[in-house]
Amino acid sequence: MKRAIRILSRNPLSALGLGLVVLIVLAALLAPWIAPYPDHNGAVVDFLNNNKPPSARNWMGTDLVGRDIFSRILYAYQTSLVLAVVVLAIATPIGTVVGLIAGYLGGWTETILMRVVDVFLSIPPLVLALAMMGVLKPTLTNAMLAVTAMWWPWYARLVYSIARSEREEGYVLAAEVIGAGTTHIAFREILPNCLPAIITKMTLDMGFVIIIASSLSFLGLGVQPPTPDLGSMVAEGANYLPDSWWLTVFPGLAILIAVFGFNLLGDGLRDVLGVDR
Amino acid sequence: MSLLDIADLTLSFKGLSGLTEVLHGISLSIAPGEKVALVGESGSGKSVTARIVLGLLQEQKTARIGGTVRFAGQDLAALSPRDREGLRGTEISMIFQDPTSYLNPVFTIGRQFAEVLRRRDPGLARAACEARAIEMLAETAIPDPARVLGSYPFQLSGGMNQRVMIAMALANHPRLLIADEPGTALDVTVQAQTLKLMRQLVDLHETAVLFISHNLGVVREFADRVYVIYRGRIVEDGPTAAVFGDPRHAYTQALMAAVPRITGDGLPDVPEVSEAFLAPKVHHRLRSGRAT
Repeated sequence: MKRAIRILSRNPLSALGLGLVVLIVLAALLAPWIAPYPDHNGAVVDFLNNNKPPSARNWMGTDLVGRDIFSRILYAYQTSLVLAVVVLAIATPIGTVVGLIAGYLGGWTETILMRVVDVFLSIPPLVLALAMMGVLKPTLTNAMLAVTAMWWPWYARLVYSIARSEREEGYVLAAEVIGAGTTHIAFREILPNCLPAIITKMTLDMGFVIIIASSLSFLGLGVQPPTPDLGSMVAEGANYLPDSWWLTVFPGLAILIAVFGFNLLGDGLRDVLGVDR
Repeated sequence: MSLLDIADLTLSFKGLSGLTEVLHGISLSIAPGEKVALVGESGSGKSVTARIVLGLLQEQKTARIGGTVRFAGQDLAALSPRDREGLRGTEISMIFQDPTSYLNPVFTIGRQFAEVLRRRDPGLARAACEARAIEMLAETAIPDPARVLGSYPFQLSGGMNQRVMIAMALANHPRLLIADEPGTALDVTVQAQTLKLMRQLVDLHETAVLFISHNLGVVREFADRVYVIYRGRIVEDGPTAAVFGDPRHAYTQALMAAVPRITGDGLPDVPEVSEAFLAPKVHHRLRSGRAT
């Protein structure tokens, strides 16, 4: 752990990533206390102050119905992070188990599982999510479902490729020789060797899931108003560019910072977790 | 009664182009506590023989196995896969070529050792595992067993890992130890030390050994009896001294001639294939040492 922190801090970019991620998580957690207008996360209307540029009163300006954009961004981070965490918490185990079983067992199991994965991967992810959201009602839960459905195959692919090569390693044969069963070898011997890659990918994916979820809500298929969401905030403001630029630029920047932070952190983690191998 | 009795074992693999025969009826026996070497070039069928004894190839769908393999009087083919699995790690264990890659890189030695011990005794407590592991590691002359238990395989030298592997393989007091070219990946001095150690330990525990190797010098020092295998056939067998002192089969002679001398006479000239290599088996009798 100490060594991990040392390596992370030696690389200024990953330290920056870690800093941004910590900042975002804190902002989301503390939103009710640090937001200047905590009640602006809902259907509040303040027409006296609508569509105001950034000022000392509203640091990032106000939106079309007069809500403070800075406050709404803090709350929007909550939505984005919860969505990303839930999606990865479901997609990663599914993909890992599928990949692990296919990679270690081989044969027919591998053929069937990986062809299913290929079918999912052959459909462009956003199109798949759009189709699902078109059929289902656009709610936060369904957005999570749609993004999860398009995400797990990537983990299956990743874990499959590692398990395939680990299967040939000596320690797997050694475990077979001492009489270890299939489940034990797959989950207790091979899986721990896949974990560094899985954790790194999860960190990198946090950013990408946030982008995809924002894209869905930008198209009106994700989180529905009045719940604040970065994607729908960008969409709302897009009609008023370039005059009311603060409507789009600040939520856009918020997305950028989140994705940037998780990506840098993921790169740093790859170095930390990669050296042991 | 012999501990391991292989009679007329044949093996072929079913591939796209039909059957590929790998073993053409080999017979081999090991008495309890006996050290037997199986010598031959790569691809001669040494390692697959070991895998059959371990019951690993029986599970593979493309393998066709004939003949019988008896371990302690039981026919392996008659056992259920579960019972065959039960023999591995308890009655039969194995040591490999490259010790470092045969230990899982993400677990400490202590954890892997505990797993091996729990094979025989599933409920063994952590402290008991540790005590037993330290005892076994001390037997292999590892200076600081407690430190080694807390280390990862990549933090130890190859020779150290080899000792760990020997200790693990003997931890459950198996009756048969299969050593598949042990220490080939190590340098010569370390290899010599670990082999000497392994011999002391198997003598101490009265473990029978099937020693698979292409290194004649090592075999001569280690084994009581030798089987020479060539292209899936046993071509010569007998007590080590007899086979080395008086090699009768053309292939055995070629194999011995192929060992580079330290005196620097240049690399020996060995024919790729010779008709004489396929000549019938030569058997040296145990006492007289005379070939029949």
